[in-house]
Amino acid sequence: MSRKLDYPSAADDALVKAAQKADMQAFEELVARHRDKIYARAVSMMRNEEEAADLSQEAWVKAWQRLKQFQGEASFVTWMTRIIINLCLDQLRKQKRLRAESIEQLDEELGGVERQMPVVTPNPTERMERGELRQRIDEALGKLSCEHRTVLILHEFEELEYKEIAKRMQCSIGTVMSRLFYARRKIAALLAGWKREEFR
Amino acid sequence: MINHETELKLQAYLDGELSPGEAKAVEDLTNRDADAWALFEELKLTKSLLAENELEVRLPESRGFYWSKIQRQIEREEKEQASEQTEAAASSWWLRFLAPAAALVALAVLVVVALRAPKGAETLVALDDSHEIETPLEETSSFSFQSEAAGMTVVWVDSHRE
Repeated sequence: MSRKLDYPSAADDALVKAAQKADMQAFEELVARHRDKIYARAVSMMRNEEEAADLSQEAWVKAWQRLKQFQGEASFVTWMTRIIINLCLDQLRKQKRLRAESIEQLDEELGGVERQMPVVTPNPTERMERGELRQRIDEALGKLSCEHRTVLILHEFEELEYKEIAKRMQCSIGTVMSRLFYARRKIAALLAGWKREEFR
Repeated sequence: MINHETELKLQAYLDGELSPGEAKAVEDLTNRDADAWALFEELKLTKSLLAENELEVRLPESRGFYWSKIQRQIEREEKEQASEQTEAAASSWWLRFLAPAAALVALAVLVVVALRAPKGAETLVALDDSHEIETPLEETSSFSFQSEAAGMTVVWVDSHRE
């Protein structure tokens, strides 16, 4: 007779195996463990809490439906993060169709404002609490265009390589590199600007 | 001023995306060019600031409430999927029997028509008194049918006949 799984103390792998055998309680435990991370990624990409909540819910439903496909090459949370990223990218693509993108594309081709900026030292960590710094960085991310923010999130937070980002964003590696460069420079300028304001 | 290609090379070096040979060339550049070094430092600091400081966000819903929404959606989609599969199975059952059934019906119609088909011209004339069929000898390419009971007259004209 098989031993009953102790859900709160079970490892993710054990919960995944149980969930793959249609154990909903095991899946519920996985949702409870990782729901904040999945939601946070959706918030950072969508910049809209309501939309992020809906998409994260959809991601969990998709995960349940595709759970048998999960072979454990990566960790469960990495697999889940990929699902939410793809859902967010699909949603952003849908929304982008409604927006004019020509100005941004032209800006990128010409080098953008960020290229003309002098080199700065974006070190706002002095005299700043970690929580406040995180808040500032998040505000700076909010000021980026959707394409620049997405490439930055995928590279800096998800640690994806250029090639992988290009595949997911359906663009060339050159575009990824260019977008990442402008995004970093703009973030640097914004953080340096806040630092200057503080010392004034 | 550094060109854009070099800027991207500096960034790729920072991200570990260059081959050893290219990495060495960029390293040499940062050692001898102050602008390249300053830009590289800016990119490096920005990268480290971002990597360590992502905002922590919490889902503003209780565990039970959030799960109940997910569970309901899973159950709803499973029901929909099951009903779609039932419909698909039913339609495939119909399709499996539709072709032979259609062939059978066509065969039956053919048999009935063959059995009821007139044996000759007499049969056409042997109708009851209220019907008349006229075939003028001089104009054999036309026939007329008249029925008093139905109150109608139909004239066939064979336009292909010479």
